[in-house]
Amino acid sequence: MAGGGGGGEGEPEFQVAPMIDVLLVLLIFFMSITSAQVLKVDKNISLPVASNGVKRDDKAAAGLINISWDKTTGQAKYKIDDREIDPNDKEGIAKELSDRKGTNEKYRLLIRADKECHAKYISKALEWGAEAGIDNIAFSGLNKEE
Amino acid sequence: MKQAPEQAESNPGFQIAPMIDVVFVIMLFFMVMAGAVKVEHELKTTLPGNAETAKETDLPDEVTIGVSETGDITLNEDPVGAPGDKLLENLYNQMKQLGQAAEQSKTKLLITVQAEENARYDRVINVLDCLAKANITNVTFAVSDTE
Repeated sequence: MAGGGGGGEGEPEFQVAPMIDVLLVLLIFFMSITSAQVLKVDKNISLPVASNGVKRDDKAAAGLINISWDKTTGQAKYKIDDREIDPNDKEGIAKELSDRKGTNEKYRLLIRADKECHAKYISKALEWGAEAGIDNIAFSGLNKEE
Repeated sequence: MKQAPEQAESNPGFQIAPMIDVVFVIMLFFMVMAGAVKVEHELKTTLPGNAETAKETDLPDEVTIGVSETGDITLNEDPVGAPGDKLLENLYNQMKQLGQAAEQSKTKLLITVQAEENARYDRVINVLDCLAKANITNVTFAVSDTE
């Protein structure tokens, strides 16, 4: 009977090609996990520190409101995901959030606001949530100081 | 003229030891960098005025934490935190005690964080973070209308 594929030499030569293959796969893996953002967050927002909060659950459905702070004008700018919205269009925003919520009772409103933002601007976002029938509110913060 | 001697082996062969060296350095780099990664945490609250009225319920102990424009924190009008106090140890201790007392008497503790219109958001988050540390989950957030 023919033997298995045992090579004649005891030590097989190291193959560079499969090694590079593996390294590229690892590289792609790290690239993908660092860029995979389910939520479209605004990178210009400087979040406050909330070290005792729970880790953000990206799987749970949430409406994301980004509130950035313009220091020069002292005004807040609102974005739903990455789309800028007009804060005076209360009905339009509430309708959009309501449509997104649908019949999902666990749907929550995730607020990412700049640490310098004033509470009245946060309150406005909460009003939209209330109008859309969303009472689960979550505030975003970083686990450590920037 | 004498020619330079040709190299005996053009391919010196792949060296596994330096390769493992490099891989270990890369691994160490990722391990160290993993500690510096900043992740987003979230603090959960509910909107005020969402009580069920269909059945008879015990009225919960209601506590109001005020956040002023200047950064002062009050607990039912009593000052518990100065503007620079980020950890709010005093508030934490009182909340912990209130939480334990509510647990023993089997009542629900309801905390309302009431911020002034121009109070800074990070100060509100300081308070919510302190409540999360004290394991207080029933928190509502409201902004007082000063107009």
